[in-house]
Amino acid sequence: MKQFFDKISKNRYYAMVFKNPFTYVTGAVLLSLFQIALFAYSGNPWGVSGAFANWGAWIYRLFGGNVDKWYYFSSSGAQQTLDAGVLNNSGSLMNFGIAAGALLAALLASQFKFKKIKSVKQVVAAVLGGLLMGYGARLAGGCNIGALFSSIASLSLSGWVFALFLLVGAFIGSKLLAKFFL
Amino acid sequence: MAEFELDCLGEACPVPLMKTEKKMAGLKSGDTLIVHIDHSCAMKNVPEWARKQGHNVEVEEVGDGEWDVIIEKC
Repeated sequence: MKQFFDKISKNRYYAMVFKNPFTYVTGAVLLSLFQIALFAYSGNPWGVSGAFANWGAWIYRLFGGNVDKWYYFSSSGAQQTLDAGVLNNSGSLMNFGIAAGALLAALLASQFKFKKIKSVKQVVAAVLGGLLMGYGARLAGGCNIGALFSSIASLSLSGWVFALFLLVGAFIGSKLLAKFFL
Repeated sequence: MAEFELDCLGEACPVPLMKTEKKMAGLKSGDTLIVHIDHSCAMKNVPEWARKQGHNVEVEEVGDGEWDVIIEKC
């Protein structure tokens, strides 16, 4: 068995496909092809963070909460999505797919590792950053996939506006990062 | 020809690159810096940056998902 894996790890096609990172161009071409296929199949552009809001609503419902009156979930479409459940929500299934695919890719490259948490500061920054990103993505009507990638791919001007302010945010974020983490 | 180490284990992009840039600024020509990383993006952008600066760079896989980036200042 060990011999078999040693042999595979030296195979140059294994290295090319699974081990070495793809170039940016390869990644961009693959992303474009897959998002076209997804759009053609499902009729909806690719999005990620919209499903997270639904997860929040489902968890809230589990604990007996009710989001029917919330403006965000008030449309009949949003209610239908929530009533259909997580297994009938294509956005949620795709997010599970991303997590499963990322795990598989890390395992195939033999790069899976439990990483240690370095400091309390790192935890605070991750939680605060996550909350800000999630909240911001819902206010903006999308994240860097739905509102940037899919919008620009659909020739929508809003994607470029989003990109401009993404750069502003990234600039401020990197200043904060340099101030607190260097 | 001194040797320095930088522990970036558990740190995500772009922190390893920023720390490496800062640390390299304080090194003399011929000095070596070994950066320990376990974030696969850093395995790409740290060597890329260092090579662009003209330094000698080597990447060594020291364990599953763990690398040492060895940079010799030019």
